[in-house]
Amino acid sequence: MNRESFGIDLACMAGPLEERLAAAEAAGFSQVMLWARDLANHPRGYEAAARLVRESKLRVAGLQLMRNYEGMSGPAHEYKLDIVKALLDVCVDVNAPLLLVCASAAAGHQHDPSRAEADLRKLANLAVPTGVRVGFKAIPWGRSISDTRSAWDLVYRVDHANLGLVLDSFHFIAGGHPLEVLNDIPPEKISLVQLADFSVPVFQERGERNADHMRVFPGDGVLHDSVAAFVRHVDWLGYEGDYSLLVFNEDYRQLPAHAVARLGARSMAWVNTQVLRRRLPMNRLRAV
Amino acid sequence: MSGALDPALEANPLGMRGIEFIEYLSRHPEELGGVLAQIGFRLIARHRSREVFLYRQGPVNIIINADPVALSTLAHPEEDNQISAVAIRVADANQAYERCMQWGAWPIPTRAGAMELNIPGIHGVGDSIIYLVDHRRNFSIYDVDFDYLTDERKVEPITPGLHVFGVVQYINPDRSAEWIDFYAQLLGFRALPPETHFGILPHGTILQSPCARFYLQLVEPVGDALYDTEWYEQFARLAFGVPDVPGAVRILEARGVPFQDNAFIRPDCHGAITAAMSHDVNFEFVRHTAPDEDQEGAP
Repeated sequence: MNRESFGIDLACMAGPLEERLAAAEAAGFSQVMLWARDLANHPRGYEAAARLVRESKLRVAGLQLMRNYEGMSGPAHEYKLDIVKALLDVCVDVNAPLLLVCASAAAGHQHDPSRAEADLRKLANLAVPTGVRVGFKAIPWGRSISDTRSAWDLVYRVDHANLGLVLDSFHFIAGGHPLEVLNDIPPEKISLVQLADFSVPVFQERGERNADHMRVFPGDGVLHDSVAAFVRHVDWLGYEGDYSLLVFNEDYRQLPAHAVARLGARSMAWVNTQVLRRRLPMNRLRAV
Repeated sequence: MSGALDPALEANPLGMRGIEFIEYLSRHPEELGGVLAQIGFRLIARHRSREVFLYRQGPVNIIINADPVALSTLAHPEEDNQISAVAIRVADANQAYERCMQWGAWPIPTRAGAMELNIPGIHGVGDSIIYLVDHRRNFSIYDVDFDYLTDERKVEPITPGLHVFGVVQYINPDRSAEWIDFYAQLLGFRALPPETHFGILPHGTILQSPCARFYLQLVEPVGDALYDTEWYEQFARLAFGVPDVPGAVRILEARGVPFQDNAFIRPDCHGAITAAMSHDVNFEFVRHTAPDEDQEGAP
């Protein structure tokens, strides 16, 4: 793990896109996670926003977010297919190598879990010519995929090199899962690791809004020991991919972007220390 | 779906049966045509309304598309010549297209295709198209759009047994597994064991078509290729199969075709590769004998 593999999700910060990009760069991040809506909603338009991103020195880690994709039946599936294709085009426009897809939370009458495998395989194939990988993520309010274990089971069954699993420390720890759940996952099948700590010790994630304001930067929360153990475990598995800080709460939303980015940079250093602490004895041995 | 249990259908889901034609987009159609003529192809037909030309040798059809509208859509406009389409013969083009859509293919990009005939196609690597052509049709697809120069339809190959061996596809680093799954799931290709090599270039993953009539070679950049050249994903080179490579090289050298002959690459009995002939176009010759029906000649 090093600074190069660390990014901040632009959703952590308030303000115009250019200000958030500049804040991330000034704070020492080399990469950022983008949201398609930030490009579409830019006051100077989509093209100008995409150009801003391409011309910044920051590497784009990926693009958020495809929702309610898998397991839709009939016209709803065709509709979602159009949406996901358009998002793949956005990925190409901003050189995003990864499209994040979160498990479907669609209403029951539209949802057919038996289609999920074929739908994700279809998306994995669609994304190959565009040069974009697909990262699938469980969410606690997902209709049939609500934890890492079930998400990995689905990714495993799809069995396509272009589809991987996205881990989120916040959801994982809130779900109360033992770290051993991760042991079955080959590190190369993990597309991205998102990190956040907790502002409260125990709560039940019931939906996006409920979970939103509980996140703080790793090291700043009440469960920092659990977050550190999570990061060390992922590192121990052999994961060498990107980490993305994914934090949003009421406090950060009222601060200028540069202030939040600085807190993020401090958190990045904290996470590195947690992993280095475990690695140091090995490094010393090698030095002898 | 009773068909899903049929092993033949599983192994060759589109009923694939060889390559119908290879299309080059070219800014220098006459010069590229001259190169094709040098290696034994003959211009046999011109498109009725566009700057599109059909060349043939033995069972191999090559289309040069110099249509300005098609050229204007290239993502890499600095390219002078580019393999822009591979047309695959399938049992039923519309069924094959529908299956590709179900498994995750993009519909054909909107550009002025070589054909006005409605041939379904899917998005391939880079700007390219993979066309799906009915091989059981009872007419030549070229008759619809092309005017033949003479009554001659057959062109005897100057290099005996010449056929399409396959296409080399450049891919970005660490993308082999993704493309292997793509070709396996959409079209039924099978990756051959890593130690399998044809020709003289040692790198890359070789995918065999489900009809075992042609191959794709996926090549990731090796060494400094990423820094020395502008590397991007594309169909990079056409490879011909010939039973006797040294014999073919002798015939072609006598016609002035230059072959790469240096410390790293030189013609031998396994294969040979031409030097860049017109704006970086080159061809590979691989020792390979055509499946029987291909030798019967073009439709």
